[in-house]
Amino acid sequence: MLPIIQILGLPFLACILMSSVLGYLGIHVLKREVIFIDIALAQTAAVGAIAAHLAFKVHGDSLLCYMCSLGAVFCVAAFYAIVREKLSQISLEAIIGISYAIAAAAALFLVGIAPGGHVHIQQILSGSLLWTGWRDIILSLLVFSVVGFCFYLFRNPLVRISTDYQRAYAGGPKTVLWDFIFYVLLGIVITLAVQIAGVVVVFAYLIIPATISAVFSSRLTVQLIVVWVAATVASIAGLLFAYYLDFSIGPAIALFLGCELIIAALISRFRRVLLLVH
Amino acid sequence: MTSEIVRFFSVQIALLAVVLVLHTYVGLHIIRRTLIFSDLVLDQLAAFGALAGIGLGIEYGTVQSYLSSMVAVLFGALLLALIKSKSRAIPREAIIGIMYAMALVASLLLGDKLRGGEAYVTKTLAGSMLWVTWPLVCVTTVVYIVLLLFHYRFRHKFIGLAENPQMVKNEKLWDFLLFTTQGIITVLIVPIAGVLLAYAFLMIPAAIAAMFTKKWAGAVVIGWTAGFIACLIGLCSSYFFDLPYGPSLVLCLGAFFIAAVIVRCLFSNNKLFA
Repeated sequence: MLPIIQILGLPFLACILMSSVLGYLGIHVLKREVIFIDIALAQTAAVGAIAAHLAFKVHGDSLLCYMCSLGAVFCVAAFYAIVREKLSQISLEAIIGISYAIAAAAALFLVGIAPGGHVHIQQILSGSLLWTGWRDIILSLLVFSVVGFCFYLFRNPLVRISTDYQRAYAGGPKTVLWDFIFYVLLGIVITLAVQIAGVVVVFAYLIIPATISAVFSSRLTVQLIVVWVAATVASIAGLLFAYYLDFSIGPAIALFLGCELIIAALISRFRRVLLLVH
Repeated sequence: MTSEIVRFFSVQIALLAVVLVLHTYVGLHIIRRTLIFSDLVLDQLAAFGALAGIGLGIEYGTVQSYLSSMVAVLFGALLLALIKSKSRAIPREAIIGIMYAMALVASLLLGDKLRGGEAYVTKTLAGSMLWVTWPLVCVTTVVYIVLLLFHYRFRHKFIGLAENPQMVKNEKLWDFLLFTTQGIITVLIVPIAGVLLAYAFLMIPAAIAAMFTKKWAGAVVIGWTAGFIACLIGLCSSYFFDLPYGPSLVLCLGAFFIAAVIVRCLFSNNKLFA
């Protein structure tokens, strides 16, 4: 086997798996205008992991650690769903942004009072895409398939809430519950994806392809095709760039996603000028 | 010993009191216009500027290093003011979020090729507020007063941007000036307080205030009072129980914020807060 495939094969598979789920979720996140959600949930999961590490002396990739991370994410998901219904004076994005700061401070606080947790913070930030193993691939395939199936099963209420919360809320009292389910599913995906790839790539996969697709169309099917093509092209380019020029993989992929967005914005502007000329 | 404690607390309290006024006011703009990511963009660009300075042989913490941060931050303020999506499907916050990601990516890629980059990133995260001195408090106070006077003089323009942007002439220019103010306070405060605490100073008092009043002056008073009391409690607990400094302050501010959210949710229809 070619050495390049040996080294980059599994990271590429992980990228494709992550981007296919995160790309779709990104379309929801963009419609809901909760751009901060990824960083906030990832940081909350990190607090759960550090707390587990300090309380039970367990490793970062143990089951108990995952459970504590998920427990923290569930609490925050419930908080967002309730606050969105009850609080109209400030936007949910502001609440999410502040909860990120509190979670980050809590992580630093826990590390500060009992040293040994800083390894987790470093890993959550940068990830280790290059060291992806078959275990990560199989686990993410399983988890992402279940989450994807849930999104397919509950697509009607979830899309309704993302498109117009007020109207969905007027339609029935179950809106808060569906909102909670959305944040829980998103939290599960983000917790796992961040463990593999780090916050930067996950954030880029979530927001940038969805924004590129919104430049071109508002139809979901077209958007999904654009999202997946954009993510795949950027993943390949980023992996090759990092491999040949010796850079970190995550930031390199995010860089190419950013370039794609700039190109998309230029094409859209050029098209508008052409339409005006005609 | 006693005089040392008094000296320590008086410098800290003086700086907190000064910093919170302008931060609460600028934070109110950021919260009301939902530009939450803009602060992180500027923080990250300030870090990138200093990092690029290190690449060019400039030592961290010197005047030249501040200047290279300032150039990066001004560039960021310009981009924040100019780049807006025409499509309603793409919120402005998404564009700002992507700018943040790109600034972070640029810093990380630069850090890959730079020796000692990681140590610097840790420095910017934690800050060194424990070593605040009177000269630093004086410089910060003078700059903050100048900025406050400027904002007071042109308050109608800046408040117009938040309440009725169509009515403001040269919207992009005033947007640029708002982001520049935010940038200047970022460059000044981040080396002292660290990214996290600086961000908390800006967002949390303003968010608490925005939940209870729509008036600008009233909101600054509420935000400043809540922020100041929270910071005092954080400062004392950090000093007397030997807890980490920055995180203690942010967590105290966070506790006040959560208490405010609970009060607001419980009394969501109360006319007292309308």
